[in-house]
Formats: sequence, structure tokens, C-alpha cells
Amino acid sequence: MSISVVSLSKQYKVHERQSGLKGAWKSLFDRKYRIVQAVNDITFQIEPGEIVGFLGPNGAGKTTTIKMLAGLLYPSGGEIQVGGYVPYKQEHDFKRMISLVMGQKSQLIWDIPPMETFLVNQAVYEIEESQFRKTLAELTELLNLEPLLGKPTRQLSLGERMKCELAASLLHRPKILFLDEPTIGLDVNMQENVRRFIQDYNRQYNTTVLLTSHYMADVTALCNRVMIINRGTLLYDGDLSLLSESLVPYKYIELQLEGSVDLPSFSQWGEVVETGGGKLKLKVPRNQVAEMSSKILQEWKVSDLTIQDPPMEEVIGLAFKEEKDAE
Amino acid sequence: MLNKYFALIRMKWVEMFEYRAESVIWILGALTQPLVTLAVWLGVSDGGEIQGFSPNHFILYFACLIFVERMTTAWDVWDLDREIRQGTFSFPLLRPLHPIHWGIAENIVYKVFFLSILLPIWIVAAFFIEPLRLALSPLEWVAFLIAVLFGLAIRFLMGWCVGLLGFWVSRVVAIYSVVEGISLFFSGRIAPLSIMPPTIQKIGEILPFSYILYFPVEILMGGVTLERLVTGMIGQVVWIGILYGVFHFLWKAGLKAYSAAGG
Repeated sequence: MSISVVSLSKQYKVHERQSGLKGAWKSLFDRKYRIVQAVNDITFQIEPGEIVGFLGPNGAGKTTTIKMLAGLLYPSGGEIQVGGYVPYKQEHDFKRMISLVMGQKSQLIWDIPPMETFLVNQAVYEIEESQFRKTLAELTELLNLEPLLGKPTRQLSLGERMKCELAASLLHRPKILFLDEPTIGLDVNMQENVRRFIQDYNRQYNTTVLLTSHYMADVTALCNRVMIINRGTLLYDGDLSLLSESLVPYKYIELQLEGSVDLPSFSQWGEVVETGGGKLKLKVPRNQVAEMSSKILQEWKVSDLTIQDPPMEEVIGLAFKEEKDAE
Repeated sequence: MLNKYFALIRMKWVEMFEYRAESVIWILGALTQPLVTLAVWLGVSDGGEIQGFSPNHFILYFACLIFVERMTTAWDVWDLDREIRQGTFSFPLLRPLHPIHWGIAENIVYKVFFLSILLPIWIVAAFFIEPLRLALSPLEWVAFLIAVLFGLAIRFLMGWCVGLLGFWVSRVVAIYSVVEGISLFFSGRIAPLSIMPPTIQKIGEILPFSYILYFPVEILMGGVTLERLVTGMIGQVVWIGILYGVFHFLWKAGLKAYSAAGG
């Protein structure tokens, strides 16, 4: 099931409140509105079975986009098609095909055990008894839900709740899965579990997955393709591996040197970022990496040399910073 | 659809038992206002009659009022206010079933629960309090049942209509409390409409509130004329139609305005 988005936009009209009692009183009579362009003319296409990572800082427009794709928000402009449906028309067949998991919100009914939500979903999504039992058994096994099913949701830990959340969203075997920060607030172990689960699930059922996250590890572990959004505009859409190439003009050369290091003489090669214990890290323009390394090897006694792309966090950070500077 | 209702009712039942203490308090808390009002009227009448209403009439009237009030009460506006404002309304909205069915299922559960408590209390009370012994004809019972259901439908739809305003404004509970305040006079909660000033009676016949409480209470007290029965039911049906239309409109427009608050 594919997703196709053309020139999608969303504007919010926000009431600007002034702070303080006086401000509150003033805004009773003189309401000022501001138009916030949450999503601005974005276009992309996602093929069936793809896992795509959707990255961006807080307030970039990720969640707004996902909510439009899930049919919760009405777009201000542009076209969306998800699995052949127009989401905001809210057709039941469309809803049976998708699922949205929000890390910060819960679809589980708060005061009663998760199993009760599962049973409601079985009826609401019209899942046949035999299929329901089978899917539930599978999910119980994969996510280790057995001890959680009978506890009231409010007594579950954040990680336990997220596992039940995933199960509740997958009972009807959605073809398209929207995950909005599914690992937020989870410990490293649980993040890893959730990631592995999503990956397995995608492979097994060829589910299309669109995932937003603040954790780079989620994206590098799961997605081959990323889309980067900031201030509602799509900055990058393509291979994760090509991301640093297209956004960051440098690489790092890390050296382990034999004997003493004469630091100043290295600055001619590139910017020295880290030193200590005979180790040295140089920031070198991308197109000069090969040339530099061979020169360094000729002139110095080097016991080890590695060439690295900057870490993802740095790449993304830079992408947003550059955009800010350009303003 | 039956399956869906069965599952929703089951779940709401389980949920209600999580809150059993609150549920009982809810019933008892609702007794205070009518009982105080009754005490006032008994004091005012001082053993005599007020426009044909004897003390026994007042006792029966307010007992009927408590019963019908509980059977038609609707709290969806509070849920809608919270869910829309906090964005959790997204979850029922994501499922392939109109969110109003969750509300209907919840109402069925609580109304059955209220009935199972109020009915035995009434029966026991009737042994001791003579005016509570009802003598209705089968037709009157059927009419009462339908009138209560229609009254419930009017109040439920009113709650949803006000609640859906939450798509545009952020504290609809405040709006609803104004509606409730107006209904105090015209629904018969303060006094039987028949002893109210004629202007209030006239307005009351037009507004929906008397069709929620006063009309079913009239039937339950017995001796209502066939003409009144027919006009009352027509009034109820008209209001259900109007409110359903408003609800439908607000729903369509509201979805476009919904902002699914929160990350």
C-alpha cells in the first residue's frame, strides 16, 4: 500500500495570548491571531513495504504530517492518497487499513487491563475470532505480553504500556503503520526491543512504516530512507547512507601516530578536533580525503588510520543549523 | 453492529465496576437538589394545596423527577471537552466506528446500573410512602418508557452538540453550565411547570428541556390526557430531529477544524 503526497500544506490559526493578568484581560477584547505554517508544500511518495524515517526537531511538522496522513487533520492545501484513499474523508475501509501509534498518547483504556482494549478493537475492526486469537498469540509471544494483559493499564510502566500499545494497534493487521515517536521515554533496552519488533513485523507482513523519532538510533537501525523536515519544509528525502554526503561537506580522518605528535604542523592538513595519547582526529573536506590520507601516510609514521562520516546527530544538527544561518 | 455494541457494553461495564464507589455516589449526589427543592415546597404549601398540588403530589412529583433525571442524565460533554482539548479524541476517531457509539454504549451501561438501584429503592419506599404507589395503565407505562427514551435522546444529543463546539472553543463545559442553568427553570426541576407563571410555561413548551424531564414525569404521575401524550411526543420527536441535524452539521464541520492537539 503506497502513500502519495503532493504539495501538502497545513496552517493553524493560533490565538496569541499575552502573558500576565493584564495581558489576559487585554486579549479578551483584542484577540490577535497568528497564522502558523506547520507544513509547507511538501511532496513525497512511499512505496509498499518501505520503512521511512521522518526526522526533524520539535515543532518541525512531523506529527502534523503524520496526523494528516492518518486522516485526523484536514489539510489546508495539496493532495494526499494513502493506500488509494483520501485520509480526511474518514472512510471505514481506510481506517481498517492503517494504524497510528503515538508515543505520548495512549489508546488503551486507562483504568482497565489492556486485554479489554484488545477485545474492543477486535469487535470494532471486525476481526474474526480465529484470526484474532492467532494474531494475539503471535504478538503476545513477540512482545512478551503475557504478564501484562490482566493488569490495569495505569499500573503498567511506560515500556510495558508501549508494548501493549503496539499490540492494540496491530491486531487488525494494518497495511500501513504510522509510528509517532514510539520509543520516546523508553530505556535503551526497551528501545532496542521495540525497534527489533518493528523491523521483524515489517519484514513478515511487508507493512509500510512511516516513523518519526528524536532518537537517531531508531532511524539508523530501521530505515534505509529518511525524510528530514524543518519548519514545515522538506529538506532532504533519500538514502540514509547518502545523507551525510549531501548535507555535510567534510569527513573525519582518525590517526594513531607513533612517537610524539607535533600538533601545529597538522593544522595545515585540516582542522584538528581531538587529540590525546598519540591520537588525532582531523576534519577534512570531503573531496580532499583521499589525497590527504596518502600525504599523511607518506609524511608520518601512522599505526592506524580510519576515515569516518560524521555521526548522524551531527549531520542532522548541521542541517538545521545551516538552514537557520541562511535566514 | 450488534457485536460492536456487545463489546463496547462489556468494556464499559468492566470500567464502571472499577469506579463502583463513584457510581453509587453519583446516584446519591443527584438526590440532594430535588430533595431540598421538595422540602422547600412542602414548607411553602404548609399542608395545603398550591394550584392543585397537595403535599402528596409534591412528594410524588419530585420522586418521579429524581427517577427521570437519573435515567436521562448525560455527561458526554465533559468527556468530549477533555478529549478534544487534550487530543485523545484522536483514538476513537481513528477507529472504524463513529465515536458517538462509545457514548451510547456507556449510557446503556450506566442507565441499566441506575435502574437496578433506583427501582428496588422505589419499590421498598412505596411500602412506606403512600403517594409512591403508582397505578398506571399498560398504555401509560409504554408511553412513559418511550418518553424517557426520547428524553434521554434529546439530552444526549444536546450534550454532544455542545461538546462538539470543543472543536472551536476550549472550554465547552462552561457553555453547558449555562444551558443547564436555563434548563433548571424550564425542565420542571424547580417546580412543576403547571404551577409556574404562564409565560414560563409557554416558553417551556417551545424549549427542549421540558421534553427531557417534565413530560415523562407528567406521564409517570398518571392521569395525563391522550392529547397531551400526543403533543408531548411530537415535541420530543421534533427536538430529536433538530438536534440530530445540528449534531450532524457540527460533526462534519468540526472534523475540518479538529487540531488533534499534542504531540
